[in-house]
Amino acid sequence: MLTTFIANSPILASLVITLITIATYQLASACQQKWQYIWLNPMLFSICILVPFLLLTEINYQEYNQTTQVLNLLLEPAIVALGLPLYQQFKQIRFYWREMTAILVFGITVVITVSFILAMWLIKAPEIAIALSLKSVTTPIGITLTEQLFGDSSITAFAILIAGLFGALLGPQWLSFIGVNSAKAQGLAVGSASHVIGTAVLVRKSAEHGAYSSVALILSAVLTALISPWLIPLLQILFN
Amino acid sequence: MNNVLYTIFVISISLLLGKVANYLLAALPASLYGMILYALFLQLNWFSANRVTKTNQWFIKHMGVCLVPAGMGIINHFELIQQHGIALVIIIFSSTFILLTVIGYLSERFLITPDNYKSETTKGLR
Repeated sequence: MLTTFIANSPILASLVITLITIATYQLASACQQKWQYIWLNPMLFSICILVPFLLLTEINYQEYNQTTQVLNLLLEPAIVALGLPLYQQFKQIRFYWREMTAILVFGITVVITVSFILAMWLIKAPEIAIALSLKSVTTPIGITLTEQLFGDSSITAFAILIAGLFGALLGPQWLSFIGVNSAKAQGLAVGSASHVIGTAVLVRKSAEHGAYSSVALILSAVLTALISPWLIPLLQILFN
Repeated sequence: MNNVLYTIFVISISLLLGKVANYLLAALPASLYGMILYALFLQLNWFSANRVTKTNQWFIKHMGVCLVPAGMGIINHFELIQQHGIALVIIIFSSTFILLTVIGYLSERFLITPDNYKSETTKGLR
């Protein structure tokens, strides 16, 4: 029934389904605002509600994706908007940018290589391996990069969420355990591994933690964008 | 309202130039060229950072909703999760901890000079 509705009046269907998506997301955000649990991530929460909804109403993913085109179209300008934090962080990293870039480039290269090789070894599907190797950056950039390299962007989106939650919930304790205690080092590590979700947790520790975490978040996204289009095809050659 | 339109204008111009850059140079996606150009324009003061800040922050705060459709693609992957769920979690978990360790250790080792470290630890103790 709903499928014919989507076929007959695409604009109305678009409006209804986009509204449902936005409303669910709003509800999730409100819950997180209220209870402040990290795992109550609005995107994860929305997906957990919308997946059963689609299954019940028998709308398939293609139809859902088509009707929510508006949201997809906003993704590109949303990424451009991340230029503002990048500009704001310029001042922060002025004195250290060489060291920070070197450390992050090394870390990113290691993590892409390790994830790609592990995924090829355990799952043996290149589009999944690409998706998993780009899971340490902020979601919009991860999705865009995965699509550009012909990986599976829905896996990236999900892996980014899970990586974010792991790093946010266990990262600071793990870092203290291995003897990394300074705000700067903890901020950089959690920001680069767990992006926005990690940053949201670290801000509660201290402003300095939060500042370095956001530096790492934005800088590692830019560096991953620069490294991955060269590194991933190289790794793919290795497995052919 | 003026600043809202101003922000949309600046972001659109950056995205447009990003598309041109993507066409000419390839390598990066257009939106990432756009992001870098936007930061550059603000840095060079070609556009006012003060005027874009408020709208831009609102935009970033609510950006997550645009990502829901992409994440919903997971609906096509139930089989993969059933077959390789544990492998997926192992890969994500181990690589996240490798990254945390590498960046944390290297930053602690190379970014913190001795007196800098002292001031930070005393700050922590206070």
